[in-house]
Amino acid sequence: MKDQKDRLTLNRREFIKFGAGGMAALVVGAKMPWILDNEAFAAAPVQSLNFTITDAIKDMATHNTINPAQCYFWVYKEATLPFEVPGPHIFTTEGTIVNITITNSLEQPHAFFIPGLFDSGPIAPGQTVVKRFGARTAGTYLYYDNLNDPVNRVMGLHGAFIVMPKAPKRGHKFTPYSSPTPGVQALFDDFGTAQWWPGLAWEQGATNPEARPTPPFRQYIWLLHQASPVLFREVGSLPAGEIMESAEFVQKFLHDAFVPTRETNNIPNYFTISGQSGHFAHNTPYICPNLRVGEPCVIRLLNAGLWTHSMHIHANHVYITSIKGVVQENPIWVDVFNIEPLDTVEYVNPYMRPPDVPNERGIGRADAPRTTLNGGPTWPPNEELAMLIPSAPAGLAVQLSPLCYPMHDHSEPSQTSQGGNYNMGMISGMNFIGDRGVAGPGSSFPNQPLIDPPGPGPGVFMPAVPPPWFD
Amino acid sequence: MAFQNTPNHIDRQPVVGALFDESNEFVKMFDPPTASPVLPERMTPTNPVPEVMAAVGVGRLPAPANTVHRQLLARLPKPTWDGVKNIQFFVFTDPDLLGGFSAPQYPAATIRVPRGVIFHGQTTGNPPPHTIHWHGIEPTPLNDGVGHCSMEIGSYLYQWQPNFIGTYFYHCHRNTVQHFEFGLFGLLIIEPPDTYFASVVGANFQNQTLPATITLNNIPVGACSDGLRRTAANTTAFPQFPGFISGDPIFGVTGPGGVGVGDPRAFTVPYDVEAIWVLDDRDSIWSDLAPNEFTTFPTHGAIPGDNDQFNNRPGANGFFAFNDFNADYWFVTGVPVPAHKGETETIDPAGAPPRGGGLPGGLIPAALNSGVSGSQIAINATVGQTILVRCLDAAYNKTRITFPVDVVIIAWDGRALGVPPFGRYNHAFLLPANTPITTSTARRFDGLIRATTPVNSFAKVEFLETRGDDITVTARIPIVIS
Ligand SMILES: [Cu+2]
Ligand SMILES: [Cu+2]
Repeated sequence: MKDQKDRLTLNRREFIKFGAGGMAALVVGAKMPWILDNEAFAAAPVQSLNFTITDAIKDMATHNTINPAQCYFWVYKEATLPFEVPGPHIFTTEGTIVNITITNSLEQPHAFFIPGLFDSGPIAPGQTVVKRFGARTAGTYLYYDNLNDPVNRVMGLHGAFIVMPKAPKRGHKFTPYSSPTPGVQALFDDFGTAQWWPGLAWEQGATNPEARPTPPFRQYIWLLHQASPVLFREVGSLPAGEIMESAEFVQKFLHDAFVPTRETNNIPNYFTISGQSGHFAHNTPYICPNLRVGEPCVIRLLNAGLWTHSMHIHANHVYITSIKGVVQENPIWVDVFNIEPLDTVEYVNPYMRPPDVPNERGIGRADAPRTTLNGGPTWPPNEELAMLIPSAPAGLAVQLSPLCYPMHDHSEPSQTSQGGNYNMGMISGMNFIGDRGVAGPGSSFPNQPLIDPPGPGPGVFMPAVPPPWFD
Repeated sequence: MAFQNTPNHIDRQPVVGALFDESNEFVKMFDPPTASPVLPERMTPTNPVPEVMAAVGVGRLPAPANTVHRQLLARLPKPTWDGVKNIQFFVFTDPDLLGGFSAPQYPAATIRVPRGVIFHGQTTGNPPPHTIHWHGIEPTPLNDGVGHCSMEIGSYLYQWQPNFIGTYFYHCHRNTVQHFEFGLFGLLIIEPPDTYFASVVGANFQNQTLPATITLNNIPVGACSDGLRRTAANTTAFPQFPGFISGDPIFGVTGPGGVGVGDPRAFTVPYDVEAIWVLDDRDSIWSDLAPNEFTTFPTHGAIPGDNDQFNNRPGANGFFAFNDFNADYWFVTGVPVPAHKGETETIDPAGAPPRGGGLPGGLIPAALNSGVSGSQIAINATVGQTILVRCLDAAYNKTRITFPVDVVIIAWDGRALGVPPFGRYNHAFLLPANTPITTSTARRFDGLIRATTPVNSFAKVEFLETRGDDITVTARIPIVIS
């Protein structure tokens, strides 16, 4: 452990560079221009998937190393990646044939299931199956074990399976969908073109002076889950071949008797986004977008658990473009949306300037900033960007740049870990690292995050695989 | 393999290490610094509401001018409707209110602000730390009021300029799981740009100025310059609501080509009656066992991530069940739902406490409503009037609401549907009578009702568990249209 003095010079830039907890990801198929250069996914191209269904004990979010904070999970372990729960994000393109090998090394039957795309059927203990399936329709899918539903899924056997469209509709820009509705298509057509959405289209990347390039097809995955160490341990301790009835599991998970002290009942007490909580979810650029004004992105939410969450994002309202795989005829523009168990929901985040920063007309447009009492502009907020809070002690100071905002479940019991520890739960965010509409230094705010590709070095990144843009 | 013999382990990332260190961010996440910085990018406030409230006689003249005050928190023990116990509430107070309304209130007084003005909110956390997050308003991070992204107060002058008319709320974002649940919130409504100015002789909403001495004219407080109360909407497809004013079909509230400022009432619809429904629930066990606002605030140690303390705050009492919420008392805009779990009961805003709301005439007092008179909870209107329902789910539950009449949903979360340019991708929609609409924590919708025949019925509000979909309680809100 380092002492306090050594931390004096460390700043947010280094922090974001080394933020841990990036999700393991895989790309299935050949050429996929939509993911190349997208550093949010350190995704390795593979031609076939090779999963072992196994288990692991995971260290969960806490802030005290003498506090074990562990939870037992069942795990989809991909051959090329380390153990992690959830399973890796898998990306592919509409029309790709996916080869998949699955081995069950646990003591009861398991399966691999993608609604509408694939069903392995029961795989007996010790058995290996080899299958293939087509990624027919673009969208966000939860892959999971659908046996003894919902027990096997909630125990950890789940992950995100993303299918991107092969091409946009003729004469239009890319959307994330095979068949977008007129409203959703118009939104994507307008990004980067309409007067009220200055900046980039979603399909459009860019280079930036003295900063890393902006990738095209910016997208993030928020896979939501709740974990109960007491219940998962009980399920994991059953004699070989025995299972817990799903009714008993659900009753304990949702409605176990109230206990005011830590970790003694079966209610979940860890709440994760793509396997991470609190600091480890908000402050990693693999989960939390770090983009400029004018760089719209897609956020794909999936709920693998049994609680309903009410996900609130600060700084920008988002368009709800798809719910449960149904592209929305009426994409509402909201700051909160609920996501029920097994649902998928897509948020389209325009990454507009936070609209309630004072501006000329005050009607939400990319107007000229107003002038402050000090004679500067209200945007970029240069005085605020330069502030350090706390101002002392220096070792704990954080500069208010890039601009930091949270995204969290507003049904707040999930904002905890181990029954307390507010802000160690289901939280991510959105950060602004600049503004494409501002010339000069304002196009990139101080402390640009360095989302370096994983490679030789401290080995703290997940996954430890070559990124797709490496070659 | 099983729990007893799995050889596999998934490590937590250290936050203090030989090669890198993220302990400053890590500490800030769970124990944000308390600070009282000077507002950066400071402007002169132009919000007319405090001055108009003083002229109406519900508040005193603000000092400094054009500035709203909020203090937090005050403790407010409230007896339950059934007399079984007191529940501890945490609430905001407004020291500028007259007539006894500066005393603790649940929910806190509604803040109304015209679109486009510079809002200043002077706040003090006592004892610290707290914040105010203006939910749905999107300013810079310091003014967004989230501790780990900026700081907690202390004291601070929040500044923002509301750009979209609609329904919002404000709440403390410190230990939100407890502070929001215990009632530390109030409604926030963004009004058309000429409201409040319109009620003052010699005021100019275009340059947002008030005369030195405020004299009220006969335009009701909260109404636009045409004397009508209005909110943002595009009701082109719903001509049953008279008085709708449209604007540029592509650029919305501006002039053609996106130039200029257009009509201040562009894309607004008038309403005659406003009803405010804040749906809330309480877990009285949390109140019994964790009545202290510092419960389980962790503190960071000398080596963050290593020897931080979970539970060393006074009053924490070893309570570690903030993941386990079980509502047993329910409220609609502060009015008790006189029902136990599983039951169905009707609220009575005008009735005597603790079973009723104790509101004179069942109406929300102007002092608690930014000077606006007559806002309702239970609806009492006449045939042919336009009724606006603003609904916030402040519960840690989903809610399912069923109206006995047709409702046109005109907005979600302070964003009017179908108003160009940002609403050109969506549209207002009809919610037919007896069709439920489901919402969840922190979501708001605005709905319009205009009955052509008398109604003597109820809106049914079912509070649904977020852990499973069980109905915890059913509240009935009277709707009488005669
Ligand atoms: Cu607070
Ligand atoms: Cu909020």
